[in-house]
Amino acid sequence: MKKSIRIALAGNPNCGKTTLFNNLTGMKQHVGNWPGKTVEKKEGTFSFKGEKVSVIDLPGTYSLTAYSVEEIVARDYIVKENPDLVIHIIDSCNLERNLYLTTQLIELGANLIVALNMNRYACKRGLEIDEKKVSKLLGVPVVKIEAIDETGKRELLDLAIKSAKSKRKSENRITYGKEIEEHLAQLENFVKGNLGLRTAKPKWISLKLLEKDKEVIQAVSKMKNGKIVLKKSEELQQHITEVFGDDVDASIADARYGFIAGLLKESVKKPKVDKITRSENIDKIVTNKYLGIPIFIIAMYLLFQITFTVSAPIVDWIDGSIGFLTEISMNFFESVRAPAWLTSLIGDGIFGGVGSVLVFVPIIMILFFIISLMEDSGYMARAAFIMDRVMHKIGLHGKAFIPFLLGFGCTVPSIMATRTLESRKDRIVTMLLSPMMSCGARLPVYVLFTAAFFAKNQAEIIFSLYMLGIIVAILVGFLFKKTIFKGTSSPFVMELPPYRLPTLKGSLIHMWERGKLFMIKAGTVIFGTVLIIWFLSSVPFGVEYGSEASAVGIIGKAIAPVFSPLGFGNWQAAVSLFFGFVAKEVVVGSMGTLYGVGEEGLATVLQGSFTPLSAYAFMVFVLLYVPCLTVLATIKRETNSWKWPAITAVYLTVVAWIVSFIVYQGGLLLGFT
Amino acid sequence: MMPLAMCSEGEVKEVHCVGCGEGLKKRLCDLGLYDGTKIKIVKNDISGPVIIKIKDSKLVIGRGQASKIMVKEGRQE
Repeated sequence: MKKSIRIALAGNPNCGKTTLFNNLTGMKQHVGNWPGKTVEKKEGTFSFKGEKVSVIDLPGTYSLTAYSVEEIVARDYIVKENPDLVIHIIDSCNLERNLYLTTQLIELGANLIVALNMNRYACKRGLEIDEKKVSKLLGVPVVKIEAIDETGKRELLDLAIKSAKSKRKSENRITYGKEIEEHLAQLENFVKGNLGLRTAKPKWISLKLLEKDKEVIQAVSKMKNGKIVLKKSEELQQHITEVFGDDVDASIADARYGFIAGLLKESVKKPKVDKITRSENIDKIVTNKYLGIPIFIIAMYLLFQITFTVSAPIVDWIDGSIGFLTEISMNFFESVRAPAWLTSLIGDGIFGGVGSVLVFVPIIMILFFIISLMEDSGYMARAAFIMDRVMHKIGLHGKAFIPFLLGFGCTVPSIMATRTLESRKDRIVTMLLSPMMSCGARLPVYVLFTAAFFAKNQAEIIFSLYMLGIIVAILVGFLFKKTIFKGTSSPFVMELPPYRLPTLKGSLIHMWERGKLFMIKAGTVIFGTVLIIWFLSSVPFGVEYGSEASAVGIIGKAIAPVFSPLGFGNWQAAVSLFFGFVAKEVVVGSMGTLYGVGEEGLATVLQGSFTPLSAYAFMVFVLLYVPCLTVLATIKRETNSWKWPAITAVYLTVVAWIVSFIVYQGGLLLGFT
Repeated sequence: MMPLAMCSEGEVKEVHCVGCGEGLKKRLCDLGLYDGTKIKIVKNDISGPVIIKIKDSKLVIGRGQASKIMVKEGRQE
């Protein structure tokens, strides 16, 4: 088989990198994690003119220092895996800042192509970019493309394949100033003489050593003769600082920006006056001191309102189909005189349990579709800005709000996203609080209960639960700040990307990925749990399915009294909460199984054992109690100890009990039933 | 010379020095903010973070950090 060409895509966040990746690979992509890291790794393949090409979408970074995990991942891939070609995607509207990464890719000695993206926006702003000149000055091929459509795609791919085959390495044309150049040359010789480097270039290693790059210093210190090299580099650093009175890393950065400024002067024509862009006008309203928060709340409300309106008919359709399939299969099993347990396993266990969870696939997919639209449009960054003031009250900053936002989809990625926070304290607090952001898996529970008890204002009730989660999180966070997590907040710096029209394709792919994950979960974890529940509901054999005499009934009855003060002291509720620990959506599946009815009948049965008030208290408990197993496992992995997941599980359950208690007892006092 | 946090909306200034830790200084530099860069203050309410325009992008900077970035009158080009 012919070897495929390996291409890596590099670029700043929001430069259209992922759009190009989706454009090139379509559905032929695989999303996973970088080994040992919680950074998402996207790989894909495509063919062009008979060449097989595999593409890696590197994490979006501003630089290639060792500042964040993303940067280390991107850099390590280029240095160690040595792809045939790196395509650097650049936002033409923001050439200067983007080129800073280019200079570092050139320093790395990667076989590089620059793809200038979003030229239409640049044109509108009155920028005239002469890509031939840029290419000449950088010493790297440059193409203009539009990642959202086909513009320049053919040229880019022709060039990419030609360049990949040429095995060319970009040469570094940046001059770092006489003094640094001299020291750099000295160190480079020293590195060449002492270190046996395999893939990395000695000049790059030397440059990074002078820049005091932690990762490179650590890697070198482990190598043979590494200690001598480090000593030499420290000497040289000190010498530069003594003689020229300047920080070496600052001077190197200056040199890069100087090189870029020179390049832009020759190749780009800028309009004299900055036009006020549409982005700025929108921002004036959206980030306004008084309007910001109300607009944000309306946006969140619309998000959920649209999700339910659009998904309702699809849910009904799936619901009907599952009911139909259940009937057919039950009839079939009865007609062939299959043993009663088998009929019960298929009917009660599989169709009743998994079926009732599958109903929620459209809701989760549509929710993620809209979240992805909001993210790609640039609004999410504004939300982080708006929320900074609120977050400050609990000792966090606006950026910590992004994990919280992701928490509305699923707590697992939200825990993973805490990696973008720099301080450990921030990360732990965010991990402890983010499970209170109501995740997609809790939605099925709300949908079921609101349909049964609050059919008229379903969206409002569900919205109130989401808000309650946020409010409780703020209160608990405030308590944390005053007690166990005292201290100053860590720095907050974030780019506000310009508003862009999100692409349908990108959001659809994102939606599909999330929906697939959920379905896989439904097919494995939930399926397994449903089988266990079915088994526990059927033993000792001979009892009526899921009755009080079954194993599950006995367990349920034992823990039910704990929930009596909260209004739902029935054993079915207790058991379903118990199983909900595996995954919260299982609460619905297990209720379907425990009551021995399908999705449709469940609402009626529930009306018999809950009141509207106790149903609300139950939903509050589901919102706040111990997060699912996967979340606890993720917290364990991220903090590297069992201490934090254990604390999370216990404290959240206590909080859930207290809040549900207040809701139920308070509600009774106020005269609700 | 004054801290960025004290500037009013619409002003154009030049960064004089960035008085925060190494790590953050590097990050700001990656984002295009270093000594001598011209910045425009886009948004500065009395509390909360500051939004600045730098090169061709907008940055949100927390109030704490904005107090540590010293700016001076921008040169006219």
